[in-house]
Amino acid sequence: MALVLALLNDMFFAAIPAVGFAMVFNVPPKYLPYCALGGAIAHGLRMLLLQQGIQIEWATLAGSTTVGLIGIYWSKKLHVPAGIFTVAAMIPMVPGVYVYKAMIAIVEINHVGFSIELWKIFAENFITGTSIIAALAVGLALPNLIFYRRRPVV
Amino acid sequence: MSCVIQEEQQREISRLVVKTGQMLLQHGAESSMVNSLSCRLGRAMGLHSVEISLSASSMVVTTLVDGFCVTTARRCPDRGINMHVVSEIQQLVIAAEQQRLSAGQVKQRLESIEPYKHNRWLVIVMIGLSCASFCRLAGGDWLLFAWTFVASAAGMFVRQEIAHRHFNPLLNFGLTAFVTSLIAAQAELFQFGNNPTLAMASSVLMLVPGFPLINAISDMVNGYVNMGIARWIFATLLGLATSIGIITATTFTGVWTWL
Repeated sequence: MALVLALLNDMFFAAIPAVGFAMVFNVPPKYLPYCALGGAIAHGLRMLLLQQGIQIEWATLAGSTTVGLIGIYWSKKLHVPAGIFTVAAMIPMVPGVYVYKAMIAIVEINHVGFSIELWKIFAENFITGTSIIAALAVGLALPNLIFYRRRPVV
Repeated sequence: MSCVIQEEQQREISRLVVKTGQMLLQHGAESSMVNSLSCRLGRAMGLHSVEISLSASSMVVTTLVDGFCVTTARRCPDRGINMHVVSEIQQLVIAAEQQRLSAGQVKQRLESIEPYKHNRWLVIVMIGLSCASFCRLAGGDWLLFAWTFVASAAGMFVRQEIAHRHFNPLLNFGLTAFVTSLIAAQAELFQFGNNPTLAMASSVLMLVPGFPLINAISDMVNGYVNMGIARWIFATLLGLATSIGIITATTFTGVWTWL
């Protein structure tokens, strides 16, 4: 029961940024509910997998692949490109804090001089951040790479 | 294609194809989509083949009919991500394929696409709520939720105002990060909530260039390596500009320095 509540909480608070950023990308209003649902599913699935002790990159890949597949279905149904729903749905999983920490470490190295600690912060955050972003993009591209190799979805 | 395409017709269709590609590229579509939609439109209108060469801020299109080429280039300065334009063009291409639209009809529909923009105040509220949700997901309490909302909504207002005046996006992101962090840092100064650093960490997440980063990787995966690199570098620069804004704000207020 506690798990279900935690999952619902997670999905709810992931749906909000999915819609918020979809609006910044000017997704037409009628597609916003799909962005919310996609964001909730992806982030919820990732939370469940993270709780099972799965590495964040692989959990992210599972979430993005799932939404990538659902996006193909919606895309066929509504005759619009899948990217309209799926990219906004990925935004709650974008590793913003990792990216900033890596960048700030670089600026700090310039500011206070090189130290192994700062370089470690940069390397770790950069590698994790990049891996997660790659997992997001590859997961979304996977249905095209596997099923729609030589023909368009819509 | 049974009907014979005259040279002038080919030119007209080429203009439509390059316009389609240009609009897609300017509004943030990924490269494989720019390529496939432009080619499909050209073929639906009777061209034998369409060849497209993309670069970060321009494109070159060559169309072929019976070995006769028409080549044209266009600059594609960024107009900001707009999924409404992308979806309209996708539907136009489907219509052109299924209903055999004439060049005139396609031209008219292409020109009638008016980029849809959400109400700016609604966007401010939703972005505020989005960053506040990030704070909540990271374990912040409701007081921090509220403060993150205030900081990022104010930041979003600044971002819109600067963008409206056509400043360079790098400058925009730096300044917005500075203002947002300055406001969020008050949580740290006055010790709001259970973990005040979360307000600073979450409120600037609205500036993460998530869309360009995801597009960059998917371009590279799909074989448009030059486009992917260009997008990746620009997203990195936006991130660096944001970091400089954050660091300036933390130096000003003398609070938590992120690392």
